[in-house]
Amino acid sequence: MKRFIRAAGVVAALALPMASASADVVKVGLLADFTGAFAVWGSQFQQAIKAYQEVHGTKIKGPDGKENEIQFVYRDLTSAGPEKAKQLAEELVLREKVKFLAGFDLSPQAMSVADIATQAKIPTIIMNAATASITRGSPYFVRVSMTIPQHGAAAGRWAAKNGVKTAYTIVSDYAPGYDAENFFTKEFEKGGGKVIGSERSPQQETNYAAYMEKVLRAKPDALFMFQPAGSPSLAFVKAYIERGLKAAGIKLIGTGEMQQIFLPQFNDDAIGVVTSFHYTETNKNPENIALRAQLKKMFGQDADADIASVAAWDGTDLIYQAVAALGPSADGLKYVDFFKGKKLNSPRGPIMIDPDERDVIQNIYIRQVEKRDGKLVNIDIGQEDMVKDPWKLENPAKK
Amino acid sequence: MFSFALTILLDGLSYGMVLFLISVGLTITMGLMRVVNLAHGSFAMIGGYVAGYLTQHGMNFFLAVGAAVIVSGLLGAVVETTVYRPLYRKGELAQVLLTIGLVFVATAGVTEVFGAFPYNVKMPEYLTQPVDIGFRTYPAYRLFLIAVGAVVAAVLWYVIDGSILGARLRAAVDNARMARAVGMNVNVLFTGTFVVGCGLAGLGGAIGAGVMAMEPSYALKYLRLFLIVVIVGGEGSFKGSLVAALALGVIDTLGKYFFSQAASYLLYAAVFALLLWRPQGLLPAKSAA
Repeated sequence: MKRFIRAAGVVAALALPMASASADVVKVGLLADFTGAFAVWGSQFQQAIKAYQEVHGTKIKGPDGKENEIQFVYRDLTSAGPEKAKQLAEELVLREKVKFLAGFDLSPQAMSVADIATQAKIPTIIMNAATASITRGSPYFVRVSMTIPQHGAAAGRWAAKNGVKTAYTIVSDYAPGYDAENFFTKEFEKGGGKVIGSERSPQQETNYAAYMEKVLRAKPDALFMFQPAGSPSLAFVKAYIERGLKAAGIKLIGTGEMQQIFLPQFNDDAIGVVTSFHYTETNKNPENIALRAQLKKMFGQDADADIASVAAWDGTDLIYQAVAALGPSADGLKYVDFFKGKKLNSPRGPIMIDPDERDVIQNIYIRQVEKRDGKLVNIDIGQEDMVKDPWKLENPAKK
Repeated sequence: MFSFALTILLDGLSYGMVLFLISVGLTITMGLMRVVNLAHGSFAMIGGYVAGYLTQHGMNFFLAVGAAVIVSGLLGAVVETTVYRPLYRKGELAQVLLTIGLVFVATAGVTEVFGAFPYNVKMPEYLTQPVDIGFRTYPAYRLFLIAVGAVVAAVLWYVIDGSILGARLRAAVDNARMARAVGMNVNVLFTGTFVVGCGLAGLGGAIGAGVMAMEPSYALKYLRLFLIVVIVGGEGSFKGSLVAALALGVIDTLGKYFFSQAASYLLYAAVFALLLWRPQGLLPAKSAA
């Protein structure tokens, strides 16, 4: 009898938290690299999501007034190929019964889950992968990050308008590099400039001596670069300075190479490099200031916001708003319809989800590296309002 | 035209000198000990990270490089006596498996301690600037690489060709059994050479970080270049590795300059051709196989 009572007590104790958790749980499967070469993306996504949930709570009231708990389920893609993303997405959909998928630092990962998203009707929020065509892969794809042509095109227009007559381009030898080269060249030449030479460097290159020598001899007004952020981009900028291109007055224009996380690796010679990008860390938006402060509060003084944090923050915001408006169990397409045309005050500035393409429309900022309080930072020197992905304008969807 | 040719030569030589510094240890240990040491690049990587850490924390660049050499060398001594020694009598498969395992350990260790980002070795201001060399301005850093490489090569040349130690080393490479039979302590020679080789790799990693950037995947990413230098130069041949490293540096630079679309293949095509021509390497060390 005693034994029975004790057992009953245990059962009751176990049942208690379950009973009180009457809220519906909405699971979001987050797929990203948490280990391996691209580990930094996963941890940046996760920190921003945790920061968002700390500020806004994990519970959100649906249209019926009932509380829903938003729960993120993280899966590590281990910087492996797209097969891994596909397999883990299946697991999340079938076993974890997630309502949304999110994350994806690399384009192949996002593309590999297109069929799963479509068949299982799972709205999928892409938080980084930047190949322009991705959102055409599934009607359930919604992107909150960026596309490479947005950056390249804005850089080309800015250069043409700001006294650059001739330019040389060096891009990394893979698809995003070609996108950047293509749209920079197109817009720059449309504005009256002339590209007098172009090169494609191997993806993992860190020895740029020969490339810089060629540029130095061609004497363009500006050098446009697109290099993977990391050791190639760092080596590129260093080689540019070391070989005297800066001293020769050749202006360096890029896109993501001078993100704040990389600036401590440069010395003052990096001052003056101009980049075209969708998030500037020094912008004064209240949302940006709040996000940065929250990250530092939760993860220490070294924690910083970058494009991954901003996109994860906005993606989480979209999911919260959708559950608040439609409840925890709406049809997948209903959620997607809700996202179409949605406007957000992102930490980067205003953004909108393109109602036709489900891709992000956002301001592109032209920034310059400057020194403030003894530290290198990016400062906005220009902006283009609400830029739609130029690739999609050139390649309209087939109806 | 002359200035242009000289520029390409300087670019190629400076890159080749880094390859030489890192690979020379490998070529001698592979020739001497017959150990397929795929982990050699890890010592260069550790040297680079040590120099990076110290320079980022305010230490003088040259002192930091010195510390990097010492740390890599000491680590080499520890690893040689504990991990490598039992391996000498094992087959090549065991050597490959164990040493590639060491690469993974080094990569994971570096990621854990220093993070996944590329890691900066802070050079003194004057090394990051161009300097006037008469007919043009040229990166001071690359001149520095050539100078260090040339000094190291000269010292090694003197030691290996002109000293009793070098004579012993050459004898042991030629025929280790005979060297033992005449009373030489080949084991001590092994350890000493290994340590010096690791120290030089650390030196190459630290000063070469501006050409081959420090990142956790370093030891694996550049492994093929180090092996190419060893094989093209001829196993165990110090002079061979110098010639091979410089030649590869120049070929790589020429390729990028004139055939940039095919630059990533050109180097391997050149290696292929060289090995067809001389399967034993350019300057094989052994008089008799």
